[in-house]
Amino acid sequence: MTIDKSDRSEKLERTRRRVENRRRDAIAKRVAEDEDLEIPSASLEWMKRTLQWGVKADVTESGLKLDALNIGIYGEIPDKWEDQSRMPRGAYPMPGVPPIGYGIREKRDLWADNAADLYEEAIQRRWAPATDIQWDSIEPLNDDVEASVCQLCTMLCQHANTEIETLGSWLHQMSYGYHEVKLFLASEMYDAARHYEVFRKRALSNGGGLGIELRGDVKRMILESRGGWSETALLLYILRGIFTLTIYRYGEMFAHNTAERTIFAGAIQDKARHLSYGFEHLRYAVVHQEDKALVFKNLLGIGERIFLREISQPVVLEPLAVIFGGGVEGAPEGMKTVHEMMRKFVQHYLSALSWIGIDRSDSLASGLSAYISEK
Amino acid sequence: MKLTVPLFPSTEWFEAVMDVFNSDELKTTAGGGTCDAVVGIISGESLFQLKFEDIECVSVDVLENEDQLGMTDFYIELHPDDWKDMLENIKENGAATLEYTLNTVDLETPEGIARSWVEDQYRQDLFFRYNQTFQYFFDASSKVMTSFTEE
Repeated sequence: MTIDKSDRSEKLERTRRRVENRRRDAIAKRVAEDEDLEIPSASLEWMKRTLQWGVKADVTESGLKLDALNIGIYGEIPDKWEDQSRMPRGAYPMPGVPPIGYGIREKRDLWADNAADLYEEAIQRRWAPATDIQWDSIEPLNDDVEASVCQLCTMLCQHANTEIETLGSWLHQMSYGYHEVKLFLASEMYDAARHYEVFRKRALSNGGGLGIELRGDVKRMILESRGGWSETALLLYILRGIFTLTIYRYGEMFAHNTAERTIFAGAIQDKARHLSYGFEHLRYAVVHQEDKALVFKNLLGIGERIFLREISQPVVLEPLAVIFGGGVEGAPEGMKTVHEMMRKFVQHYLSALSWIGIDRSDSLASGLSAYISEK
Repeated sequence: MKLTVPLFPSTEWFEAVMDVFNSDELKTTAGGGTCDAVVGIISGESLFQLKFEDIECVSVDVLENEDQLGMTDFYIELHPDDWKDMLENIKENGAATLEYTLNTVDLETPEGIARSWVEDQYRQDLFFRYNQTFQYFFDASSKVMTSFTEE
């Protein structure tokens, strides 16, 4: 049988028209029956409400970057952001919007010039633990080593969840005049979630399990810091962040398989990016506030003592010694590597503080200075 | 792609590695991506500067003297024998094994191999921030034939 295609197509079109007419009739009937329904005429008044029109941001070879949007009035970043609503910077303000109550509205309290670039970097350099880690490269380890790896992962999960909670408790207080910082910190929360995820996955992927909970003196100090975001940032990035980065670096060096190596390599880059914001903001805070360096110095005096109390718990450094030593038997030798790790940490810590504008070389807690004075 | 590059360190060698690196999509996969940094390289008396922009290494230049290292974000300094060991390891394995990654070699060197000429910790930390990109760069040398100078 031969099918006449043109005939069939014509029939199909007639059917479509019939269905469409029925649909329109049904809508018209429903509108006619509903006496309360009013269809206003379009005022389009909103269309003229803009502070600057005709903006065309530059697109570079690497795409349209956040920083490239800072042109004309959209690039005016005031020292104080008066608006108390969620109005995006540069939008036309709507009178009568109830205030949200943002606590951080001064540039000096959160700003970092690198925030927009760091945000782009975080998006570009992201990785996914589920698929980017070669989980099948993990093979059984001796029980003592596996237990130490799991304990380390447990601690690193706590480092990550402290970061998530800390950022979450400050982010909503930061006003939208400084969206670059808000966006970057949102990406940092996501990074921290990734770290929590990946270390939990490692702990539960090789016949082990999570270890003992870290008491968390430093965690509480960071989370309960309420003096200001800058003060919290000092503890989060400089005292805790550099320590975490140092552990990640040794974690990569002593990785037992490709999976661990990839995990730590990715985490190193993420953490270094977080520190870049921290360094830049803290230096900005010191430059723009007369006594900030002194405030930071005093705060670190307290922070270092709490940090030393935390690392004196066997659960912090002993697992690292076992990993570095290749087992419990080699732990004494591994402890020498732990000391070397701590020496590198203290050097990085002092150097970062110096870059920010804080000199603690003469007032460093003795427990920390011991690491750099030891031969 | 050049198949033979006679000498490390030389402009020709770095350019050959740069070609391989720029054409390899691995550098933009998980954990890779945008990298903006100027990196100095020291091997014995030889000084070079590598410039990374966006997702590529865009230039290799010879530096005339050490003061020019001030223009770099950080520099990597290794004894020529240590460069040789690292590059031979990369050649043999296709990528650095754990003992020869930039991170490991930096940690095992008391003062580190990545340093800032002007003691700028922020810029020096780019070594960590883009560590995998730099590792991919040197791993790309596995696809380049290399000879070494006798020091």
